[in-house]
Amino acid sequence: MKNNDEFETTLPIISLLFDDAEHRILSPLSCLKEFDNHWMLEFDLPLVSKKDIKITFDENTINVEAKLKEKYSEEKLGNVTKFEYFKKSILLPGKIDNKKIIAKFQKGRLEIKIPRQITGQHVKIT
Amino acid sequence: MKIVKQNTKENTLLVGFPSNGLVGIFSISYLINNLKMKQIGEIEIPDLPSTLFVEEGEIISPIRAYNKNNLFVIISDVPFNQHLAEKFSSAVHEFCKKNTIKKIIIVSGMETINQKKEDLKIYGLITHPVLDNILYNNQIPKFLSGSIFGTDAAIISVFRKTNIPVLVLYAECHPFFPDPKASIIAIGTLAKILNVKIDTQDIKNKIDKLRIQYRDLMEETMRTLQQQEPKTRAPQIYR
Repeated sequence: MKNNDEFETTLPIISLLFDDAEHRILSPLSCLKEFDNHWMLEFDLPLVSKKDIKITFDENTINVEAKLKEKYSEEKLGNVTKFEYFKKSILLPGKIDNKKIIAKFQKGRLEIKIPRQITGQHVKIT
Repeated sequence: MKIVKQNTKENTLLVGFPSNGLVGIFSISYLINNLKMKQIGEIEIPDLPSTLFVEEGEIISPIRAYNKNNLFVIISDVPFNQHLAEKFSSAVHEFCKKNTIKKIIIVSGMETINQKKEDLKIYGLITHPVLDNILYNNQIPKFLSGSIFGTDAAIISVFRKTNIPVLVLYAECHPFFPDPKASIIAIGTLAKILNVKIDTQDIKNKIDKLRIQYRDLMEETMRTLQQQEPKTRAPQIYR
């Protein structure tokens, strides 16, 4: 169900999960909402402290890495895997305006506001 | 002469399935365990791809029915597309007829803009005015406007034409991430409505781990739900 006060311009993009058991890396859930002049990228990072999060970016990709406060164990088919990190890269559908990226971390959720680089030329109306 | 105390309580059915924040799944499964409800059967849905879960060597159907006294539960561990949601609703209707269910309570999640506020709310939507008193007695605000799609919409569509009233409890949650915290609000509300005592400490202790553990189901649920979103919006892209 959605409230009537919807505000994003498109549906959020949910990314696929690929855990890397060999390197003890979990893929966090993330969603990307697209607005007129920015993207809002959210990561679900439970069991993580703010000081253990590293965010990097290039022209159109955001990378997030985080160390878990405690190891997370998962059992599949009798094998126990212990995970220690979250790691994920998100390719954005456009270029980033890198001077104004803002990140907030609250209750295990990381929110990154990413301004879009506006390109193009004005068309004169005659 | 034998005096038998008449059971005045009506049969109530709780329904939980994957939806926003997985609130229904967390709440209903917690209730099943906490009240030590007994599995009484499995619900079969035509066209549902063959799916079974194995837990400690035991084969488990994805859609199961439970019971304790006058309380019945149907829980699905798989999300439904539009077609399957309609089949599931029909199966729930059949179950209600067989078990003389007098009312249904569904627990689901509702997207809220302000995720950071501390006092997450729960709203109620009813199909028949007869359930107005549940909202009033338990101080549950009515859900007044918005759009509904997915399995809850399919169930409401079926039951609003019958004489079995449905109450849908919508807990404010993060719609795209598993939100066990929102389900604690739902469990508290359900406990009040059903007049049972439920200790939520166990789920409170596991919030972070549940958020990691249920990532796959959340992702699968969102992909299924987004296929059902109104077509007036932009198509979804996965990456």
